[in-house]
Amino acid sequence: MNEQEIIDITNRVFEESFEIEKDRLKPDAHIFTDLGLDSLDVVDLVAALQKSFGVNIRNEEKVRNIRTLKDIYDFISAIKKEGH
Amino acid sequence: MKRVVITGAGVISPLGSGVHSLMEGIASGKSAVRYMEEWARYCGMNSHVAAPAELKDEKKIPRQNRRSMGRMSIFAAQAAEQALADSGINVTRMQPDRMGCIIGSTTGSAISISKAFEIMLFQKDLSLLPSSMFFQCMSHSAAMNVAQYLGLTGYVMATSAACASSLQAIGTGYEIISSGRQDVLLCGGAEELHPSVTGSFDVVFATSVKYNQDPQKTPRPFDKDRDGLVCGEGSGILVLEEYEHAVRRNAKIYAEITGYNTCGSGSHISQSEDKSIVQCISGTLKNAQVTYEEIDYINAHATGTIQGDKEEASAIKQIFGKTAPVSSLKGHIGHTLGASGAIELIAALYMMDKGIIYPTFNLDEIAPDCEGINHVMKPVEKEINTILKNCFAFGGINAALVCRRLNK
Repeated sequence: MNEQEIIDITNRVFEESFEIEKDRLKPDAHIFTDLGLDSLDVVDLVAALQKSFGVNIRNEEKVRNIRTLKDIYDFISAIKKEGH
Repeated sequence: MKRVVITGAGVISPLGSGVHSLMEGIASGKSAVRYMEEWARYCGMNSHVAAPAELKDEKKIPRQNRRSMGRMSIFAAQAAEQALADSGINVTRMQPDRMGCIIGSTTGSAISISKAFEIMLFQKDLSLLPSSMFFQCMSHSAAMNVAQYLGLTGYVMATSAACASSLQAIGTGYEIISSGRQDVLLCGGAEELHPSVTGSFDVVFATSVKYNQDPQKTPRPFDKDRDGLVCGEGSGILVLEEYEHAVRRNAKIYAEITGYNTCGSGSHISQSEDKSIVQCISGTLKNAQVTYEEIDYINAHATGTIQGDKEEASAIKQIFGKTAPVSSLKGHIGHTLGASGAIELIAALYMMDKGIIYPTFNLDEIAPDCEGINHVMKPVEKEINTILKNCFAFGGINAALVCRRLNK
């Protein structure tokens, strides 16, 4: 899976699960302050990312550090490289 | 004791969104009952008819409010929004601890409960449960969702008494405002269709099963060919307001609530009985300080079941004889269960305002066991000053409410 695929799949999660328009999905968009997610949304975000990427990240400590879309792209990319 | 008046109403019913759609459908003799093709796959399900409401415009509710709403909470939020707009109340201008809501339902969202158990029982993976699933399933889901959506910070409560839920909500709201503890309460109920809901009546032979191929002919309250109830869905919400509060802001007042009563039968869990219905209605009339002769219209519970209609007719006969005109609206919209008391009260208030009583749809020939009361068989124009609304529920629960026009 290349980086563009990770970006496309992640952005689709935000469009479909959180009803956020495509043009707001910039890499430096803050998922809380810019995109309006809250703590409950993060639970659903993790579930949606797990399903979309076939990974298990629910108990990953690094999930807590995610702030921007780019953080998610990088996080998924790293997880994929580690072979989770 | 404070006086309590109704200053707003909102409805999502099987006949459409809004009070106007509901009353236009009733006035023109429409039935919202249809054949439910998708229910034929359930083994042991004999009734394949229902009165669905249309779910629409739900995306107008912000996602973070909507995510915790099952179907019935969306209906409740939309009906509550209509009721609030109708009342002209601006929530932000209210004293925060003096305005809330009481909204009842049989359970939380039946669809969401079913989905949650599908995940739990078949997939056995809790991580697949959406974060807000439980909020859709809770018994007070409609009440808390409406409160969150509209920013209500006073009393927030849910009454759960199956088909008497919304009338209990209105009655409880009446008692709370009457006691001086709140100024405004949005009261009513909500319910949604699901095969498990109709199934709960089907297993005890309370559903209509003979009209699957002719759905508009059922339910048939008080009729000799009635064979059971038909489930509907939707929400009805009324704005209850302390009288002086309403007068101060020059509000439009639909009616004053003057009496309410609720009781249990203590005799049978699924079969209503005339003795306890008489007790309930008599107590309501006493609380309202009216005689039976002063009731101008009775909006019956009458769902079209063999047993329930007979008992309600017997109770009405014992108290009113043939004095008060009686009709049921369930032939038009089915039995909207926890929402029925509120939706049908709103329709009855409309009839009071317009001076017309609409007949019981599908009542073609009065059953011998429902005779002796003043059945409305065709529209009756009449000055209506005082009305009685009945609701009865599984568990032997009875509830009744009296409203009167304020200018009388």
